Amino acid sequence: MTTYILRRLIQTLAVIAILSYVCFYLMTLMPGDPVDMMISSNPKITAADVARLRELYGLDQPSYVRYSHWVGDILKGELGYSRTYRVPVQELLGPRLTSTFILSMVALIFSIAISVPLGVFSALRPGSKVDYVINFFSFAGISIPSFWLGIVCIIFFAVWIPLFPAGGTQTIGGPDAGFFADLLDRSKYLVLPVLSLSLQQIGRFVRFTRSAMLESLRNDFIRTAKAKGLPRQIIIWRHAFRNALIPLITILALSISSIFSGAIITETVFAYQGVGKLTYDSIIGNDFNVAMVSFIISVAMVLIMNLVADLLYGVADPRISYS
Amino acid sequence: MEMTEQMTIPQVSDETRRKHEQALPMWRIVLSQFAEHKMAVVGCIIIVLFMAIALSAPLIEAVTGLDPDAQNVFNRYQPPFTRTIAGQDIRETTIEKFTKDKPEVAQKLETSLIEKSLVTTQSPADALFELTSKPVPEALKILEQVGSSEALELKKTFQTFESYHLFGTDELGRDVFIRLIYGTRISMSVGVLVAIVSALVGLLIGALAGFYGGAIDTILMRVTDALISLPLLPVMIVIAAIDMQKLPALKALVSTQNESIFKMVLILCLFSWMTVARLVRGSILSLREREFILASKTLGATDFTIIFRHMFPNVIAPMLVSITLGVGESILFEAALSFLGLGIQPPTPSWGNMLFNAQELIYQAPFLAILPGVMILLTVISFNYLGDGLQDAVDPKAIRR
Repeated sequence: MTTYILRRLIQTLAVIAILSYVCFYLMTLMPGDPVDMMISSNPKITAADVARLRELYGLDQPSYVRYSHWVGDILKGELGYSRTYRVPVQELLGPRLTSTFILSMVALIFSIAISVPLGVFSALRPGSKVDYVINFFSFAGISIPSFWLGIVCIIFFAVWIPLFPAGGTQTIGGPDAGFFADLLDRSKYLVLPVLSLSLQQIGRFVRFTRSAMLESLRNDFIRTAKAKGLPRQIIIWRHAFRNALIPLITILALSISSIFSGAIITETVFAYQGVGKLTYDSIIGNDFNVAMVSFIISVAMVLIMNLVADLLYGVADPRISYS
Repeated sequence: MEMTEQMTIPQVSDETRRKHEQALPMWRIVLSQFAEHKMAVVGCIIIVLFMAIALSAPLIEAVTGLDPDAQNVFNRYQPPFTRTIAGQDIRETTIEKFTKDKPEVAQKLETSLIEKSLVTTQSPADALFELTSKPVPEALKILEQVGSSEALELKKTFQTFESYHLFGTDELGRDVFIRLIYGTRISMSVGVLVAIVSALVGLLIGALAGFYGGAIDTILMRVTDALISLPLLPVMIVIAAIDMQKLPALKALVSTQNESIFKMVLILCLFSWMTVARLVRGSILSLREREFILASKTLGATDFTIIFRHMFPNVIAPMLVSITLGVGESILFEAALSFLGLGIQPPTPSWGNMLFNAQELIYQAPFLAILPGVMILLTVISFNYLGDGLQDAVDPKAIRR
């Protein structure tokens, strides 16, 4: 088990290292670099200045040399300086990470809470009208573009019926009214983003719960349990559902990755100040240091979640061994 | 002998018997299974309809006389079902062009307009322009009064000034209806192209890994697993943001005009072949142990023949399902990237980039944000249902609803 975890950790680190170099290289291919921006903002700049600046920033060197410098800085704990926000990257990241974490976890829990009962419910009545309707809505959930859902949510629940704020993370400049008032304020801003982020997951989970449950209900031990005269609830939850859980955990694990990805779009639509929006804004705005760090953090988070999920899988199903 | 005569065997002609005993061909079975899945059939119809719309986009443009790029700043944010009239400047330039193209016709018209004193001016050069400055219905009425064949000709030109916007106009006064139709063309073709290319790549990689096993299998599957585990959207955004002209290998392939479409297809292909590859590898691993493969090996068939002639026909059915689902997914990703401003670049319309501006305009023109999304939703849901229906049809062992 320990060797398995160790091996997976090393693999994950290797993937992150390779990706960081690829990303670094790709960023050199993006239009515009720091000096280009200075040229456009300062018409009096001379060619000699440009050359001097390029040398100062090390932009005249090939990408792998710059990459090794960058990695050296990172290992020393210097994440660099954001050009857009004019603060060190460390200061920027902390609150952003918390915001994204809250958003994705709430979305994950919300979608599990909605979809698992629905999936079990429709699996118990295969072919019925209710099953058909639930199936249709889960298909719609999978197919709906989440950014569009976000816009539609804003139109309906923020513009036409002003129930929730159209965007943001919390009320800016509000009075410090204590922990709970703060929590309430933040959760008001979470409602619409969570809704638009989780609908796709709900659709996917419902379908998987339903098919896993159907599969599990066809097992012989269910017939045995019925023959023994066990109560229906016990058969459903203790015998069938526990076995359906195993494939479900895999899907849940994979969905963490897609929730994190999806958060980029949701955060952009709702101007929610999280890592996703930071990644997007910094790539668009050529904020190189921020883009690299936030990209690597989002990728690393997803990869580590995948690893955790793999380990959880073993806990849920004792038949799996990691030798 | 007597017994058999008394038994009432229903007399069946040879022909009917042959008909009944004949085995149904594979595709007939699949088709009848597919037809049972009502939603899949509906999805299939919607897809065919959208494909037809996408293919006939230039025809629709010609028939309706709408131009996806024609801007009209005086008619921005018109709600659906409105009629708009082209601005004074556009009308004047059109008339100028008319007089230049057909000087005799214009001259005859000018003289007859002045003769019948339908215009106040006396100089022939101004006659047509005065007509242009009048409201279009009034000008049309005047032209009817002239009644000559030349007047009818000009009337046609005047009629183009008035256009009917079924779905309203966008922030530049362009017609949303025709842009949606051209968007269908772009989004559909990107989706289908990506699905086909990634299926081919996946087929190749999956077949290599499954058939040869060993080190090739390990390497290819490691790469596949690593790519599957990536959070796709951040990676795609980074790649979509690069400037392709900076890559020497691709510079020859792209021109500025098609760069964004080419880039989109390339990026989406890069990250969508993995599911097909895993699927193909799995089926080929199990096929490898089957007797008919052993038989063809014994008969001395080359690897190429075995893979292409004997294995692929067995893989195509599950692959078809995966391709269908892939189209929907590609359309979603294309829309998402275009929505972020990194996909298809304007002025080329795609469903995603039509939503790009719409978000800031939800107060002035909420309908701009609704329609492209509905199109995406309809298309993707149709492809998903189609895939589901195909899955049921080609795999009878799957759980029946």
